[in-house]
Amino acid sequence: MTEYQLRIQRYDPEQDDTPRLQRYTVSGDHTTSVLDALLSLQQQQDPTLALRWSCRMAICGSCGVMVNGIPKLGCKTFLRDYNGVIDIAPLAHFAVEKDLIVDMTPFLAHLSAIQPYLINDKDDKAPHKQTPAQLAKYQQFSNCINCGLCYAACPQFGLNPEFLGPAAITLAQRYNLDSRDNGKASRMSQLNGNNGAWGCTFVGSCSEVCPKQLDPAAAVNQAKVESAKDFIINLFKI
Amino acid sequence: MKTPKRSDEPIWWALFSAGGVCFAVLLPALMLVLGILWPLGLVSPPWLSYAGVSALLHTAYGVPALLVTAAVICLPLFHAAHRIHHGLHDLQCGYRQASKLLCYGLALLLSLLALALVLAI
Amino acid sequence: MSTPDNARKPYHSRMTRDWWLQQRYYRLYMLREATVLPLLFFLGCLLYGLYSLQHSEMQWLSFAQFMQQGWVIALNALALLASLYHAKTFFALFPRVMPLAPPLLMVAGQWLASLAVIITLLWLAGVS
Repeated sequence: MTEYQLRIQRYDPEQDDTPRLQRYTVSGDHTTSVLDALLSLQQQQDPTLALRWSCRMAICGSCGVMVNGIPKLGCKTFLRDYNGVIDIAPLAHFAVEKDLIVDMTPFLAHLSAIQPYLINDKDDKAPHKQTPAQLAKYQQFSNCINCGLCYAACPQFGLNPEFLGPAAITLAQRYNLDSRDNGKASRMSQLNGNNGAWGCTFVGSCSEVCPKQLDPAAAVNQAKVESAKDFIINLFKI
Repeated sequence: MKTPKRSDEPIWWALFSAGGVCFAVLLPALMLVLGILWPLGLVSPPWLSYAGVSALLHTAYGVPALLVTAAVICLPLFHAAHRIHHGLHDLQCGYRQASKLLCYGLALLLSLLALALVLAI
Repeated sequence: MSTPDNARKPYHSRMTRDWWLQQRYYRLYMLREATVLPLLFFLGCLLYGLYSLQHSEMQWLSFAQFMQQGWVIALNALALLASLYHAKTFFALFPRVMPLAPPLLMVAGQWLASLAVIITLLWLAGVS
C-alpha cells in the first residue's frame, strides 16, 4: 500500500462564498482509481464530501473531475500515474453546486438543442435497414457517454457558454450522417450559427480528454465543412 | 429553441484555410530563399536583381502575377487576420465586431495594395 | 421557507486571461495561433519589396539592404520556423477535417508538396 496526498476543492453552498482546498491522505495500491480514493475518503474520513458517480467502469459518464487541471473520469484514472499532491476539482466551465458536483443543465440544454434522435417523416412501420457501410459513416461519433469532459477541456465553451460545444456538435454529426435520418436541415440551422460549429477554433483538447476516443474536434470541424456547403447552397436559393 | 442567425464565418474560414495551405506549402520556401539565403549572400540569382524581378513581373503581367500575389500575400494575410481575430477573443480582448472589422479590413486593404502594386509595375 | 430551489447557491468560476498558460496543451495551441505574427512581418517585407520594385532601382537596393540587417534576417528565420510549426499542425488537422484518404498518407503528401516547393525554389536560386 502507498500513501497518496490529495488536495480536493471543497465548496459548501450553505457556508462558503468561494471554494477552498482541503488536503487528505489516502492509502491505495496500483489498482486504486481516483474514484476509489474519493469513495474511501467519503466512507472513512469525511462523509461531507459530495461527488457524483455510478458505474465505476467508464460507461455512465458521471464521475468526471479535474485531476491536476485536466478533465478525467475518476474511475478510469489511477493514482499510480501521479506523483506528489494530486489536485482534484469539479469539472471546469460549469457552475459548482457542492464540492465536486457541477450543474450539467447547460450541457444537457445544448445536447437537446441539436435534436439528438432519429427524425424521419416516413410513416411506414417497416424497419429502417442499414448496411454496415452506412453504419460505419457515423459509428465513430455514436459512442458518446455524455460525461462532459470535452466541455471542461474546451476554452471556447469556457469563454462563451452559449457555444453548443464538442459533444452536442458531435452528436449532431452522428445523426446527420445516419442513413435513417432526415433531420439534417433542422440541425444545420443550429450548427450554422456563431455559437454552432463556428464557435470552435480547433484547440483540439476535447479530443485529447475524450474517454471514448470519439475525436469530437474532428466531428466539429467536419460540421464546419457541412455548414460551409450549406452556406454556399443557401446563396443560390431565393 | 429559436433558430440562430446564420454566421458569416464560412467566408472567413474558407479564406483562412486557403491561406493556411499557402502558408504551409509555399511560404517556407520563400522565407528560406528571400528572407535568409538571399540577404546572407548565399544565393544571388539574376532574377532577384532589380532588372530580373522587373522582367519576371512583366512576363507574368496580368492574371498569372495576380494569382501568385494572391497565393503568396493576400490569402496568408486573411489567414493571419482570422487567427488574430479569434486570438483576441481567446485573450478576452475581443470586442467581436471591432476586432473583426479591424483584422479583416486591414487584410483586405493590404491585399488590394499588393494587387495594385503588381498591376502598376 | 427553504425550498430546494432557493437553497441553491452555485459557484460560477471565471476563466482568467492567462488560462492558456495553465496547461502545456493550451500553450502549444497559442503558439500555433501566434505563428501568424512572424508571418505578418515576412508579408510586410514582401509588400515593401513590391513597393520598392515599383518605385525605382535605388529603392530596390535599399530594400535589399533592409533585408540584410541582422534583426530582419533573425525575424525572417523565426518566420520560417513558425511556418514549419504551422505546417506540422495544419497538415495533421487536415485529414481530420476532410478524411479523404488514410491520415498518414495525407500528412506525408502535404509535407512532400512543401518540400517540392523548397527544392524547386532552391534550384531556381542556383543551389546545386
